[in-house]
Amino acid sequence: MAQDHPLPSISPDVRRSWWTPARRDHFIGYLFILPQITGLVVFVLVPLALMAWYSLNEWNVLAGTFSFVGLGNYEKLATDPALPGVLWASACFSVGLVLFNLSLALLLAVLLNQKLAGTVVFRTIFFSPVVVSLVAWAIVWRFLLQQDGGINAVLRMLSIDGPNWLRGPNTAMVSVIVVQVVKNVGLNMVLFLAALQNVPQELYEAARVDGASRWTQFFRITVPLISPTVLLTSIITVAGSLQVFAQIAVLTEGGPGTSTTVLVYYLYQQAFQFHFFGYGASLAMLLLLIVGALTYLQWSLRKAWVYDND
Amino acid sequence: MKRTITTTLCLTALLALAPTAFMTPAQAADGLSLRMAVWTGNAKHLALLNGIADAYKAKHPEIGTITFDTIPYDNYTTTLTTQIAGGNAPDLAWILESAAPDFVGSGALLALDDTLSSTAGYDFADLSPSATALWRQDGKLFAYPFSTSPYAIFANLDIIAAAGQKSPADLIAAGSWNWQTVATEAAAVHAKSGKNGVEIRDFDYKDWTLLTTVWDGWAARPWSADGKTCTLDSSDMADAMAFLHKAIFKDGAIPGPGTSGDFFAGDTAFSITQISRASLLKDGAFKWDLVPLPAGPKGSYSVIGQAGIGVFKNGKHPQDAAAFLAFLSSPENSLKLAQFFPPPRLSQLNAETLGKTNPLLSKSQLEEVVVKGITTGKVSPSHTNNAQIAQQIRASLDAAWTPDADLPAVLSGACAKIGPLLAH
Amino acid sequence: MIKSRSRLALALYALMAVLCIPFLFPTWWMITSSFKPVSEIFAFPPTLLPRQFVTDAYGRVFELQPFARQYFNSLYIAVAVTTGTLAFSSLAGYAFARIRFPGANLLFMLVLTGLLIPSEVTIVPLFQMFLDVGAVNTHWPLILVPMLGAPSALQTFIMRQFFSGLPHELEDAARIDGLGRFAIYHRIALPLAKPALAAVGIFTFLYSWNLYLEPIVFLSSPDKFTLPQALTQFVDAYGGPMWNIQLAAASLTAIPVLVVFVIAQKQFIEGLAYTGLKG
Repeated sequence: MAQDHPLPSISPDVRRSWWTPARRDHFIGYLFILPQITGLVVFVLVPLALMAWYSLNEWNVLAGTFSFVGLGNYEKLATDPALPGVLWASACFSVGLVLFNLSLALLLAVLLNQKLAGTVVFRTIFFSPVVVSLVAWAIVWRFLLQQDGGINAVLRMLSIDGPNWLRGPNTAMVSVIVVQVVKNVGLNMVLFLAALQNVPQELYEAARVDGASRWTQFFRITVPLISPTVLLTSIITVAGSLQVFAQIAVLTEGGPGTSTTVLVYYLYQQAFQFHFFGYGASLAMLLLLIVGALTYLQWSLRKAWVYDND
Repeated sequence: MKRTITTTLCLTALLALAPTAFMTPAQAADGLSLRMAVWTGNAKHLALLNGIADAYKAKHPEIGTITFDTIPYDNYTTTLTTQIAGGNAPDLAWILESAAPDFVGSGALLALDDTLSSTAGYDFADLSPSATALWRQDGKLFAYPFSTSPYAIFANLDIIAAAGQKSPADLIAAGSWNWQTVATEAAAVHAKSGKNGVEIRDFDYKDWTLLTTVWDGWAARPWSADGKTCTLDSSDMADAMAFLHKAIFKDGAIPGPGTSGDFFAGDTAFSITQISRASLLKDGAFKWDLVPLPAGPKGSYSVIGQAGIGVFKNGKHPQDAAAFLAFLSSPENSLKLAQFFPPPRLSQLNAETLGKTNPLLSKSQLEEVVVKGITTGKVSPSHTNNAQIAQQIRASLDAAWTPDADLPAVLSGACAKIGPLLAH
Repeated sequence: MIKSRSRLALALYALMAVLCIPFLFPTWWMITSSFKPVSEIFAFPPTLLPRQFVTDAYGRVFELQPFARQYFNSLYIAVAVTTGTLAFSSLAGYAFARIRFPGANLLFMLVLTGLLIPSEVTIVPLFQMFLDVGAVNTHWPLILVPMLGAPSALQTFIMRQFFSGLPHELEDAARIDGLGRFAIYHRIALPLAKPALAAVGIFTFLYSWNLYLEPIVFLSSPDKFTLPQALTQFVDAYGGPMWNIQLAAASLTAIPVLVVFVIAQKQFIEGLAYTGLKG
């Protein structure tokens, strides 16, 4: 570096004392992150600050009234009788989605990683929903999940009387999770598949020599070695699960009752449908707090469960 | 090193400047521009609207452009609200019936009386009072009800005859066109042919406001006329809901939740919907009739569905927008719009006028259903803060749509939820 | 031995075939239904192949909307977002992974914050900001926000994770050869990062391609619409969807991306595996 661009010769002593190579490296570091950080400040921090300000006001968009209410919206939040149910639905949805998504992604990746002919075809099929329009996807599934829809028709052939999937509180939740997982599991599957292909074969051979069973190999070799990918996908999936909105809007509209009204959907209802924009903003702050805490937890626990050979 | 700095600085500068430097300025057309939000993306509708706009511009050189922005129906009110919140209210907008009290009551809309009544040839008194009722507050009109469409029953005569039942025309002639007979016929059709009996189109066990088309026969409404008291737990409502529940789960007269079927595909004997849907009927697929809603225990009734056009006070040119609305809804243009949207004008509410633009319907159908419907019909209930109240009722009623539902508990539970909201 | 192996293979095939159904059927239904007349689309039981094969929906797609123009809009926006994200996220990811500078942890928390923001949360302030600079009903919000705002945080995160996993030795050798930071990033790190760039590229492209809420809020004239937004515009005179045309348009938006994935997936997945995307 110094060879390419010799430092200016004027007062070299002064320069050296302040403009040290370390300082220069810091400067380069800042330059590298400048575009991204500028973007995050302008498009994330500033809007969030505005939302925080809105949460201290009562803003009726239609009437054009905007008045400072201090912590009024947060008091409302603390006493909102609907909120515990909403948080419970969010928790059920997120836990169910993350567990099902990650385990299905791993199962598919392991299946595709067997040396079988024709896995390219299956790989394409499992990935294909990712590129299908969300709206078309949700509409087809709504059709399939009806009382007399495709899924119950198949069950009837097996002499099972299928439930009315989208109308029962528990089955509606399960349906929304499954539809969402099938749509997006291809992304995590691809990441897992790449990680699996990266596990050195010698390790398995050594384990076989030692007489380890397939299960032992899987849990002692595969899982630790792909754990960095598990962390990455779980962070993405947890954050994504708390943002899911369109499928719920199309499939259940938060029902039956309020059983599938998750936090983002509730926020949307309050702010955009009921016109309580200030209250919606305080819910946004709550959502931010929850997602932030979860991600911080995952990130700080990573040392405990992610295998890292560095 | 130098390259690093130059590259990153250039990129950042580009980003910082991009929004201002590269932005193409809004078209610098001469004269002011008006923007109207609509939820139709239909090419024929837009062509008609643009044609009227062009005629207006020809007469008014001060108007540079009139654009019709299509916002998808599903996200309509939300997107409109976002635009208003962002300070970008359109000059005019279509307004959904369910959102009417919120928009009319909010003070966001311009009162139209002065502009409309002072426009030459407008004939303001021609607007039907029942059509404008929803859009008035304190005696002032805040939106023009450009579409006023009565609910009626379409009947598939082939299915009804095949099940050995009497046609609606015969029932009407015999004076027994009421819900009890319709339910019995529908149940018989379902039992004999497996086809659906009566569908409440688009209700889908979510949009309960469409149940008004049945409830009104029992004089059952979700809240009192002054909007202050919940009446879901009234005895009228209990009777109406008991009738519906029995028809759905015991008799099979009404297809249950999550059942597919489509009247216009020939799967269903009766369909309650707006008459505008007549255009979905295919030539000769089956024999059909259009009849008024049957009478309930509390007598005969009619229900209308509406959409309005309002002018935003906070738009850029409210007075010019109101003047354009006066042109758009003039007798002459109202007639043009009538081919898609039944007009609120008394002078045009007759079978001759409507017949020209609704060739599928016979003169007596137009007379009995459309004209009578519009002049006597009531709109579905709506209320200030409608979205929240409607959502609470939907969530509560979900529990009613199971075979073993405890209806009284569901209805009083719904009142417990919405009572505080109504009183607010 | 051989027999049990092939029996296992058969079982695996059977399992995969069953698992395929939920993945395949909706797409299959979407594409085949676009060739059915409307009355057949919701016929029960559903038909696997059109009983009556019609293609006029595809012609109507282009008649009713400036669909070719909308296709171009979606494509160029997605390409612009992807290119920009690749450049900025790899720069930022590299710096967070390799350069130690004061405040790095704090600034990385900002990236993590970006990762967590649902777009519904900030849509109103963003709309106000873009309105202030006169960029509503332009494509700038749809390019700048995904490229540099909350959605790009995930890509920077992935790039950081990748660069952290690269051996230090390569860079140390380059440094001894006298290469500067940018040259190391450009000539050493980026070529090694092809698999991560592929992942970031695909994620970003699909994100932009499927974006739905933002176009609806920001755009108002049909010749500026993007594809997901255009799909909702195929409605009949009463606002009811024209199913066959909507499905034809939806198929047209999905098929090219699917074809590209089929062609590129070998490079993509094996590329990812090549040096391993570390979490």
